[in-house]
Amino acid sequence: MEHKRMTIALFSGSLDKLTAAGIILSGAVADDYDVEIYVLLQGARAFMKDIAENTDELELAENQKLKGQFLESLEKLQVKPWLEFFREAKEMANVKVYICGLAGKVWGGEKLEDFVDLADDIVGIGECITSMEESDIHLFI
Amino acid sequence: MMDQDELKKLQVHKSVDARGTACPGPLLAAKKAMGEINPGEVLEILSSDQGTKRDVPKWAQKKGHEYLGTVEESGYFTIYMKKR
Repeated sequence: MEHKRMTIALFSGSLDKLTAAGIILSGAVADDYDVEIYVLLQGARAFMKDIAENTDELELAENQKLKGQFLESLEKLQVKPWLEFFREAKEMANVKVYICGLAGKVWGGEKLEDFVDLADDIVGIGECITSMEESDIHLFI
Repeated sequence: MMDQDELKKLQVHKSVDARGTACPGPLLAAKKAMGEINPGEVLEILSSDQGTKRDVPKWAQKKGHEYLGTVEESGYFTIYMKKR
């Protein structure tokens, strides 16, 4: 059976939006979607090795004063850190994570090794557009 | 759909305790567990996440599995599905 496809243009590098993206990704994987994620500017920074799992380096998209409450609540509710949603989704389904080449350079990430091991490749925007064009669902987060 | 007594008497081939995990934990647990049983076998998912109560049965039906019903327990519920 041919799988449906979802493309996510992930611009945000904020903890709340990354978590939301991870949850949407999980729902798509549960529904047998193949998912391609194109990680753009702030997102590319969040996917860097030294930053991804350091919550001191990442903020919320809105209402900074709620960051402490947000992180405490996630822990109490046993919600995984955002990166784990991406890791689990990749283990379960055909999920690709592509880092925008320009975005990587903005934050000093020139090579694939500068990013977490979930990143599959460094690509240009053309592939992102083609993927969106061919997808059943495309999102900008 | 089965009634509560029929559900409780079902022979369950796989049980997953997803209580304590929030959405989408139980949904992913259901997908994984369904991949580990054979057609015709019954899977039960224990969950305390309210969103799951609608999510998992809808997922099962969409994927062509048979949703058998849900039993309410104290502080959680058990969803029964038969793999297609």
